[in-house]
Amino acid sequence: MQNQNKQTNRSLLGKDRVLAAALLLATGSVSAEYGLNFPEPAANVAQEIFDIHMMTMGIATFLLCIVFAIVFYSLYFHRKSRGYEADQEFHNSWFGNWSWVIVPVMVLGVDLTIAGKADAVLKKVWDVPKEENIMDVKVTGHQWWWEFDYLDHDIKVESRYVPEEESGDLYLREVDNRLVLPTGVKIRFLHTSADVLHAFWVPELAVKKDAIPGYVTETWAELNREGVFRGQCAELCGTWHSRMPIVVESVSQEKFAAWVDDQKAVKIAAAAEASADKTWSMDELMAKGKPLYETKCGACHQATGMGLPPAFPALKGSALTIGPIADHLNIVLNGKEGTAMQPWNSLNDLEIAAIVTYERNAWDNNTGDVVQPADVKQAR
Amino acid sequence: MRIPEYQTPELRRKNVRLAWGLAGLALFFLITSFPFWSGIFRVVGTQAMQ
Amino acid sequence: MSTTTLSHDEAHHHDAPKGWKRWLFSTNHKDIGTLYLLFALTMLFLGGASAMLIRMELFMPGIQMLDPDLYNNLVTNHALIMIFGAVMPAAAGLANWMIPMMIGAPDMALPRMNNLSFWVLPAAATMLILSFVVPFFPGGGTQINTGWTLYPPLSVQVGMSMDFLIFAVHLLGISSVLASINIIVTLLNMRAPGMSLFKMPMFCWTWLVTAFLLILVVPVLAGGVTMLLFDRHFGTSFFDAAGGGDPVLFQHLFWFFGHPEVYILLLPSIGVLSHVIPAFARKPLFGYKSMVGAMLAVATIGMVVWAHHQYTIGMSLGAVTYFMIGTILISIPVGLMIFNFIATMWRGAMTFETPMLFAVGIVLMFTFGGLSGVMLAVVPADMQYHDSMFVVAHFHYVLMPGAVFGLFAGVFYWLPKWTGHMYDEKLGKLFFWINVISFNITFFPQHFLGLAGMPRRIVDYNMIFTEFNVVSSIGAMVFGLSHLLFLYIIIKTIRGGKKAEKRAWEGAKGLEWELDSPPAFHTWTVAPQIK
Repeated sequence: MQNQNKQTNRSLLGKDRVLAAALLLATGSVSAEYGLNFPEPAANVAQEIFDIHMMTMGIATFLLCIVFAIVFYSLYFHRKSRGYEADQEFHNSWFGNWSWVIVPVMVLGVDLTIAGKADAVLKKVWDVPKEENIMDVKVTGHQWWWEFDYLDHDIKVESRYVPEEESGDLYLREVDNRLVLPTGVKIRFLHTSADVLHAFWVPELAVKKDAIPGYVTETWAELNREGVFRGQCAELCGTWHSRMPIVVESVSQEKFAAWVDDQKAVKIAAAAEASADKTWSMDELMAKGKPLYETKCGACHQATGMGLPPAFPALKGSALTIGPIADHLNIVLNGKEGTAMQPWNSLNDLEIAAIVTYERNAWDNNTGDVVQPADVKQAR
Repeated sequence: MRIPEYQTPELRRKNVRLAWGLAGLALFFLITSFPFWSGIFRVVGTQAMQ
Repeated sequence: MSTTTLSHDEAHHHDAPKGWKRWLFSTNHKDIGTLYLLFALTMLFLGGASAMLIRMELFMPGIQMLDPDLYNNLVTNHALIMIFGAVMPAAAGLANWMIPMMIGAPDMALPRMNNLSFWVLPAAATMLILSFVVPFFPGGGTQINTGWTLYPPLSVQVGMSMDFLIFAVHLLGISSVLASINIIVTLLNMRAPGMSLFKMPMFCWTWLVTAFLLILVVPVLAGGVTMLLFDRHFGTSFFDAAGGGDPVLFQHLFWFFGHPEVYILLLPSIGVLSHVIPAFARKPLFGYKSMVGAMLAVATIGMVVWAHHQYTIGMSLGAVTYFMIGTILISIPVGLMIFNFIATMWRGAMTFETPMLFAVGIVLMFTFGGLSGVMLAVVPADMQYHDSMFVVAHFHYVLMPGAVFGLFAGVFYWLPKWTGHMYDEKLGKLFFWINVISFNITFFPQHFLGLAGMPRRIVDYNMIFTEFNVVSSIGAMVFGLSHLLFLYIIIKTIRGGKKAEKRAWEGAKGLEWELDSPPAFHTWTVAPQIK
């Protein structure tokens, strides 16, 4: 009996140790950005927002302390067990008769303090400054990735989460292509969505805004320090809402200009390749199609082609991927209404051809069909 | 289900009248405080024109 | 409850019908109140189970047990079951039991409608549960992954389970509108002679305001979800920008209902507190009239500030300023309510039985939740808090103390009246301490998670958020399981215990305490005279 007791004790202790170790491990790996409060602001408006947060939190804590002090005083002294006699006429005293004026006036004072400061900050935050040299970035939410259009530079960046094997500790906080922004320039974000609601949120930039399909909302920020700032989609957008990180890389204006040139060069090269009047072989298209499929389609239909039924149908052996090519191209180009399947017509002909070819031949689909960019062009 | 016998007919009438009044209030809010019916009419209208 | 109460009733009150017909065809406010309370208790455990599953999934980073859609489905169901299944029916149950006894009426004004408004609920709950279960069957479509706010266009993508949910919301709405009409008619027409409106017990006042709020806002929700249904199946485009609609319109309709709903959940519990605190402080409620005024102000302002749930949708500067100032101003009447409670305790002769413990806990924790509410009302700062775990922490601090603990206090306060037995005070106090401590362990750390950047409603999170999630989940397990103790206490009290006197509590005031414990099947068949 005693022995048994000891044993349970030991196993309990063991469990405790595992838990403690797990906690310690978690603590050890916590990066420096993590604290009990907002991360340090990296934009001008963010600093103002941070300040007003600290002010309201200070007022709230102060009031809470007062309430706690009064209640605990009362709990200790005004109790029957101490022989305290209830004051039956307390509510009829002058205080009882006038408290309904005194208390609201006091609360109103606090309210006006908060509202006054909030109103001043709000004016700065809310309306985008009207300036000639403001930089426009269109932020489009997709299920489940972000698209950043640098309207002034004619560059488009697609930003997707990186699977755990590659991102490690930064899982769900790291993307393949970052949103690169220059410091010291006023940036206007134009938010919209291609499908459902999303919300753009990077705590260091402070401003959160919903992406609403068919509408454009705007926010602005002026970055004041370099660094990498991480945020996530903040409006429930379906299955993989947790897999929509946003990573802002804040760089100096010179570095930003160099980055823009790089991106343009890449874009020109890709366009040249796609428009080249060339017949592509099966192997070439399959090699191109696999990574494209995995980044753009894999989140829903899975790298294995099995999908996640019933929301995301399997492509392996499906009637669509081994049926007529025209139907297959149609759904990829135009999407399917009422489902999460969106139109992919923003991809170029070569990319679509590669993806469709890959889908028709991977995972034992083996139709042997080779879809050429020219076919895609015709189907558009 | 028994009809409760503790209510006089006058009280009962008064109760039912007030209840219908409140139901009317609920109905009023259902119909007017948002563009439900206007939307229905728009849809019917566009279909009729086709 | 049924079997023991039945045998008890057979012994004493020969006019109570027997068997299942007593419950199915009941027109008796006490029986219907009991049904409401049992229904709410069942739903509390269903909603609690879903919450515990959610917290288990969030215990560690990574997706361990719930696939993302199931997780979101549980998030949706937890909210809807707790709000429409647990808190509102529990409050309605208290109203059914207590209002006629408090105002000296023989029963509710419209007893047969009372029966209807309860028996719609099990049907609605079945629909709600079906909406959760249907996707697991072949051809059942996708799960509801929208959260309880049901925002389109996401809710248009969902499969047939969304239609079940929409009909469930309709049924729940019908039930609460009918119950509200009944309560208002009872309160306005059935008061004992001499009881003017300003002599009415505070619980009746809170329900009068709540019932009016329900009648005004529930039809709007019904309209909103009907439009959603039309968008889904009949080719309309109320919420589809491509067809000239506006997705944000749904959010306005939803929160026009959703914000007053917060006060609908809160006010009945405020009413309970207005009885519990004076009873255990042994002195009258401080500021009866200012309480009524504050309540009317809360209800009025609460109707016109809904858009503070949607600060991020890109409203104009003028609109957000209006909603911000309106929201901040709500702190005035709410502050006055809390002040009145504290002033009622002040210079009282307090004892701390379980209902009073809950009451004190509510005053402290609800103040906390209210203050974080003021922080959230500030638009620029809300640009950070919005849709983060900070919001989750805030509204649980408002709704758990504000609504649920208030109902617990009411149940402990009136259990002796309902069953004729005193509950086990030691167990009651034990329940209070476990419940309140684990509640704080669960939700306090979530403030920090939100500030650090963790959005709400995510199934998987980065490891920097691990520690607080571990703490929160451990708290949640204890918190969830502690309600089994609550159930045990109730069952034990029904089965026996110290005999309760007419006036079960030394300082309890009001007509209900002049009746036997438990009261006869029909009470106040002759109306009492109020001086």
